[in-house]
Amino acid sequence: MNTDEPTIPAAAARRIALLLAKHGEELARHIRRIVRDDDTAQDLLQDTMLRAWKAVGRLAAGSNERAWLYRIATNASLNHQRSRARERAALGRHAAELEATRETGEGAPDAADRAGLWAEVARLPERQRLALSLRVADELDYEEIAARIGGTAAAARANVYQATRRLKLKVRDA
Amino acid sequence: MSGTTVRERDAVERIVRGAFGALTGRRGDGLRYAMMDDTPVGILGLAGGPRGLRHLSFVRGEDDFLEHLLAEHGDVPVLKSAELDDVRRALNRYFAGKALDFDLAVDLGDLAPFHRRVLGETAKIPAGRVATYTQVAVRAGSPRASRAAGNALHNNPVAIVVPCHRVLRTDGSLGGYGGGLPIKEWLLRHEGALL
Repeated sequence: MNTDEPTIPAAAARRIALLLAKHGEELARHIRRIVRDDDTAQDLLQDTMLRAWKAVGRLAAGSNERAWLYRIATNASLNHQRSRARERAALGRHAAELEATRETGEGAPDAADRAGLWAEVARLPERQRLALSLRVADELDYEEIAARIGGTAAAARANVYQATRRLKLKVRDA
Repeated sequence: MSGTTVRERDAVERIVRGAFGALTGRRGDGLRYAMMDDTPVGILGLAGGPRGLRHLSFVRGEDDFLEHLLAEHGDVPVLKSAELDDVRRALNRYFAGKALDFDLAVDLGDLAPFHRRVLGETAKIPAGRVATYTQVAVRAGSPRASRAAGNALHNNPVAIVVPCHRVLRTDGSLGGYGGGLPIKEWLLRHEGALL
């Protein structure tokens, strides 16, 4: 075996493989929802697992491993998003997803409405946009949204409320 | 990140890249798994790929099953998935007594040809019936190989669905079972083969 080959202790590699096996699929979906790009999501999932591995010794026995990983993934992804210039393109795709949901609701808005609405979505704070997406596109309850983006269920509800309030105002104005 | 060496980063990257490739469909050899925690025969671990079910095991828990999968499949990415829901539904119908025979794709491609033939013949034994190790060996084309047939059955990776519990000793005694004899007995009574 080549001794120059990158290597980590077998137990640590197994620990990562176990965490990935159990939670990798939903974490990847969660990250992709935020960053909207497969390659970026792969980098961020990698980052998440690296951070998780470094911190796993401090994870108390019996604590919620899944919620803990979601928090790490959310923070890594949101940090990434804040520093990205691609934000605009990603929001365009996100808007298309929200649009489909909206048109089944209170009637299809016309093109001008939609353009105004998506501009408004693009200006939502990151946590509000994400909370709204999890609520509208995934139909998650507030407990589950809180588990994924951090904070309490009440805070998640407030984020969704603030987001919908801003969007509705925009539509009425148009 | 402080304290993370390049070597560690590379190794983590390799593991994650494999798993991610399987997630996005870029890598077709990934194994999907699911757990059934609450069955009449205890905790079951299921795993399969695009060609069908590859593992149905009696396990102590999720970590136990995963350790087994990772040990057996090395670098192949293993991911928990809802894709095995049809298998879970079929097993629930089985345990409820509504459908005792299975119509599921099973992938035994990892096994030696003789083992595959033995398990293939075993899969043809209907619920409520039994066969002997010798009969299965004969049907698999090797009448003298009842011992080897027993070995193949003992190492059956897809318990219950490939019904190795329906194979008994020639004297009518139960023989052995990977999941333990009480489970073999329970399955045979459930199917009406034992009273």
